[in-house]
Amino acid sequence: MEIKVEGGDAFANAAYETICKDTFRDLGIRSSIDNAYLFLHPEEHVFIISITIGRVASPIRVGDVASFDKKTLRIGDEKYAPKLLSLLWDKFGERAQQLSRLMIELNLEDEELAPLKEMVIYDPREDLIARILDAIDRILPEGARVRYPIPADHAVTIIASEDPISEEWKQRAKELVGHTVS
Amino acid sequence: MYKIMMFEGGVYKFNELKELIEDIGGFILQESVMQTETMLHMAFPDEEERAIRNKIKDLGGKFTELPLAGTEIMVVSPSLGKHHAVNPMCDVAEYLRRQGAITIVMGLARGVGKRIAQITVEEKSIIEESDAAVFVFGEFKDCISVKAKLCEQLNVPYLMVGGPPDLELPHYTGGIGRRTDRLRRAEDIECLERMTTELDKELNEKRQAVDEDPLAVNPLFVKEMIEMIVPAKAGEELPITVQLDGLRISINEEDLTRIQDVEIGTRKLSEIAEIRKSLFKGYLVKIRPESEVGSIF
Repeated sequence: MEIKVEGGDAFANAAYETICKDTFRDLGIRSSIDNAYLFLHPEEHVFIISITIGRVASPIRVGDVASFDKKTLRIGDEKYAPKLLSLLWDKFGERAQQLSRLMIELNLEDEELAPLKEMVIYDPREDLIARILDAIDRILPEGARVRYPIPADHAVTIIASEDPISEEWKQRAKELVGHTVS
Repeated sequence: MYKIMMFEGGVYKFNELKELIEDIGGFILQESVMQTETMLHMAFPDEEERAIRNKIKDLGGKFTELPLAGTEIMVVSPSLGKHHAVNPMCDVAEYLRRQGAITIVMGLARGVGKRIAQITVEEKSIIEESDAAVFVFGEFKDCISVKAKLCEQLNVPYLMVGGPPDLELPHYTGGIGRRTDRLRRAEDIECLERMTTELDKELNEKRQAVDEDPLAVNPLFVKEMIEMIVPAKAGEELPITVQLDGLRISINEEDLTRIQDVEIGTRKLSEIAEIRKSLFKGYLVKIRPESEVGSIF
């Protein structure tokens, strides 16, 4: 992932680069972003952010986070435990019993067990856009509440300001983003 | 004059220290005992420091000066949103607390942005209830310069903290701007220390004003007298906060007359102090100067 911050003074640019890096890491979208470009213009209070979406992580399946021991399921990655449990209860109801924090007992027939491993617990694609928009909201200064999106393939670009956004800035944003991203 | 210091140590002979403070005419501001660890904020007359130090030498423990003790400081951020809270707003508040201050965190209703940033009259009055204010701003020099004009209206000492280290503005300290993690590195602590020193300087003006025209009675003494008449309710923390020129008391309206009638020397509290309802918490007791009310003992 490449992050480029321009427009402000050296200190502001460096500070916002760190803010971008930390925010993407906190939201777990670092690996799904190819490029991030941020243009700061504090004098006119205009900020432009453009994020190019890259490869999205593959869906997480039951077999990835849990191991089978006959009819008992042992959760390896506890982060996915709530999602796994709700999936099993939806699918099998009372036949899936949580014995302890990481152990689940399944009263299933053998033929039901095999496809279970391939069941998708969580698909990062589902909420990727929501997470990217959340990141943009966290990065852009809070006062810049007037937003103008510029649509593009595989990229999210937003101009933000506290004043109405002029045609001039819309044009300039297209030029800036066209230059660095795409 | 009273000196305010902090003792941290074990419970061994802890009571003896408390008795000594009372014997020499000092006050206990805050006390917490956590199993075998104790922490005590105490105020005692300047000249008795040697006696306290000797006692602490016997007990073993840490004895540190609290530069901001006895003050109530408002930490103001442009909003309470995720851009400012919890970092760095809470880190600033926490550091000030460690230096002895009682801090209140406040977010402005319309403090964000540059042109649109504003402080309402009510917010200004709330900030002015405390001894000093610390404003936590962001990374842009332009925005900080514009917001500095908003802070100029205040009638209490204030300090602005923000990111740019090289900004030439009065009442400004750099190095603490927008952050996404805790201020825990050595250079961050250095910035926080610098902030404390600057704030201490700002507060010195107010301290000097109080020294030149002394109050009728020390707020610490009033606190002790109030506690004797209206004891703190179970589980209530810091019902009385000491300020440089008064106190903030968290009481219900029905207790107000009891507070007004507390005897301080030969007078009642309501005669030597102005008691008014705070705009956000409890009642404010602003003690009048001795030159106005005369001697009370």
